[in-house]
Amino acid sequence: MAPIGGERFPNFELVDHAGNTRSLSELVGGDPTVLQFYRGWWCPKEQVFFRRLVRLQAEAEVAYSRFVSVSVDSPAVIAAFRAGLGARWTFLSDEARRVQEQLRLRETTDTLNDPYVPAVFVLQPDLTVHAAYNGYWFWGRPTEHELLRDLREVTMRVRGDWDAPTP
Amino acid sequence: MSRCWLAVLDSEPERAFAIAHLYSAEGAPGGVLACWRERAKPVRSALRCDERIIDPDGAGAWISLVLASAGVRLPFDDLAVQQARREVLGRPPANGVSTLLRDDSHLEGAITVARGPRARELLRDDPFARVFPAQLLRVEAGILGRVAPPVGPVIERYGAANPWPWDRFE
Repeated sequence: MAPIGGERFPNFELVDHAGNTRSLSELVGGDPTVLQFYRGWWCPKEQVFFRRLVRLQAEAEVAYSRFVSVSVDSPAVIAAFRAGLGARWTFLSDEARRVQEQLRLRETTDTLNDPYVPAVFVLQPDLTVHAAYNGYWFWGRPTEHELLRDLREVTMRVRGDWDAPTP
Repeated sequence: MSRCWLAVLDSEPERAFAIAHLYSAEGAPGGVLACWRERAKPVRSALRCDERIIDPDGAGAWISLVLASAGVRLPFDDLAVQQARREVLGRPPANGVSTLLRDDSHLEGAITVARGPRARELLRDDPFARVFPAQLLRVEAGILGRVAPPVGPVIERYGAANPWPWDRFE
């Protein structure tokens, strides 16, 4: 089952858009991370939501926060989709749907594509889920404001010098 | 703080962690690329790099070696340097990349590693080549490894003393 708030995300391994095997813990490193599961390049809702993430990356790139996007598309397809979006973060391919099954995140109403049900998790560096969003209906997805709030809350928790050292 | 140093030298140094010969794109000898893992700067021209790109068991590769001219350097926060990092994240990934630095706040070069039939094509469009002059070189086996691309989208350095894309504060 997909973890809920407060639970630890399983440290799965998948192939990235460049063909490298990556573990979730390696990708998250020591930073707050937005972990997104999406249906595929063909879904208009995903294309709109990705534009939201692409806008947010301009702030994340200086805020020590990471993004990871996962779908069942092949590495070649996710690499092309990533390039078309102008995304500068890591995309993962779960073509075998192994992690999808482990997390029970298959969208059962789409028997043609068997995609991920759209979901977004904001993770702490130890993979604890800070916030979880079910994006099956578009309005269930996090707004930019909600993601900024979540990333701020995780950052406050994990950065020991959040209260800036002053004289 | 990274204490991994790289330098291009005319001949092999007396001691180094790894050494490999360099050749121009046309095959002419181009000196040696040497690496040291130690606290003090080993030779005058050495620059610090992300230690993850170094692998004495690494295969031969093509590199784009970007080096500032003598006396020239740019702050890491310069818009051109930020944009080069941004473009590296958006482009097809190489086998490894590291900025090169002497002090804590200035970029003095970059090295990008690629292998395979499209290596030279990838390196000819090195974003760092828009900041400082670049050379396309072939390096023998024994010094450069293969590193998964940076996670993204962070372009900041993790601690002012570290090269990019080193991605941990510790």
